Amino acid sequence: MGNSSKDDSASDGDTSSGDTPPSKSSLYSEGEKVLAYHGPRLYEAKVQKAELRKKEWRYFVHYLGWNKNWDEWVGVDRLMKHTEENVVKQQALDKKQGVDKNVKSGRSAQTKPKSSTDAKVEKEDLKNNVSKGKKRKSESGVEKDNVSLEKLVKIQIPSTLRKQLVDDWEFVTQQDKLVKLPRSPTVDDILTKYLEYRAKKDGMMTDSIGEILKGIRCYFDKALPVMLLYKKERKQYHEAVVDNVSPSTIYGAEHLLRLFVKLPELLAFVNIEEETLTRLQQKVLDFLKFLQKNQSTFFLSAYDGSKVSEGKGKGKDD
Amino acid sequence: MKEIESGGGKGRDEEQDGMSVHSPCKAPPSSASSLPKEQSQVELELRLLEALEIYPPFKLQGIHRHFVLFGLMEFLRKSFDRPFSSDEVLQLLDRFYNLELLKPDDEDVELLNHEEDFCLPQSYFIKEES
Repeated sequence: MGNSSKDDSASDGDTSSGDTPPSKSSLYSEGEKVLAYHGPRLYEAKVQKAELRKKEWRYFVHYLGWNKNWDEWVGVDRLMKHTEENVVKQQALDKKQGVDKNVKSGRSAQTKPKSSTDAKVEKEDLKNNVSKGKKRKSESGVEKDNVSLEKLVKIQIPSTLRKQLVDDWEFVTQQDKLVKLPRSPTVDDILTKYLEYRAKKDGMMTDSIGEILKGIRCYFDKALPVMLLYKKERKQYHEAVVDNVSPSTIYGAEHLLRLFVKLPELLAFVNIEEETLTRLQQKVLDFLKFLQKNQSTFFLSAYDGSKVSEGKGKGKDD
Repeated sequence: MKEIESGGGKGRDEEQDGMSVHSPCKAPPSSASSLPKEQSQVELELRLLEALEIYPPFKLQGIHRHFVLFGLMEFLRKSFDRPFSSDEVLQLLDRFYNLELLKPDDEDVELLNHEEDFCLPQSYFIKEES
């Protein structure tokens, strides 16, 4: 944890004070991959910009794998070199957090360990940014600038499904295998089955569940090519999804499940009230349990090995 | 698009053509008789406008549409203690906005322009004793 002020003096050092700009060069360079504290955890990030302000280096970072909305200016005390040693530290923090979170405190308890001065500087930065023409969503009239990682809704994926995701990762990225398309059942089939299952259970159609399922389908169709594919699956996507067909009529549970890893990030764009978010969370969880119950029929137990190697093997010369 | 936001507050710039994002407000029939029914209609609209401050209508045009709608349904359900269907909410909205003419939110569009590979977070690789 950024316990907190490791004292910024590290950056401007005790070198020649005075009004000559310190010749001291930045600790981190633009484009450098770093580890950045956000809340209690360390995230992989990239330095987009480095600027010297009031003799202190400030860095504009992008958290890798996170939406650009999280990009922010931070001081040197929030960053760490991306070294093996520090990555281990990152993982340790993750683990620790994971444990801490099991105390069912939900998303409320965590706050950013930020010194107040730091916060002030950041506010200034925000202003600077705006004047630089950076489009912030303040335009939309919704005060959302403080969306922070901590505010993300937590989607607790059942453990056997987590294992499924790891297997999925293993098949695709490590063994060069692919999910054979089209899948059966498709994402659409699964959503329909769930709706039927719910209707039977509740004895009526609940409109709100229907709306959530539509939302999931819409997210899936839009998000699949943008954030749910491993690199090795892109070629297959372009072959399989042609003529504006919906991915949800081609792909199946394997890819649908990945959406739930991304769901908190997506939902962060909607400013949902606390109470409603909790309800949504419960409904999503119920759906995940349904997936889990049908895990053996919805998910493939083995992926297809032929396709990737077929395409790739030819080009290789050894 | 500015006016859309402020549109929530005032109810009087819908006088002219139907091509504005504000659809011509179908005013409740004369105010002379204050039947309880009309009153509840007013109440309903007021609540809806309140809800729209949280869930801005232009969000209904993008990828998040259904979750915004869900938010609105829940808001009204809580306010009136009865379920609201999505159709009902959309019909209500139709009194104030011409939804088709609303442009999707920039940030929603941007979200889909930024392609990245799927990456399973590190935490999934850590064995959990459950």
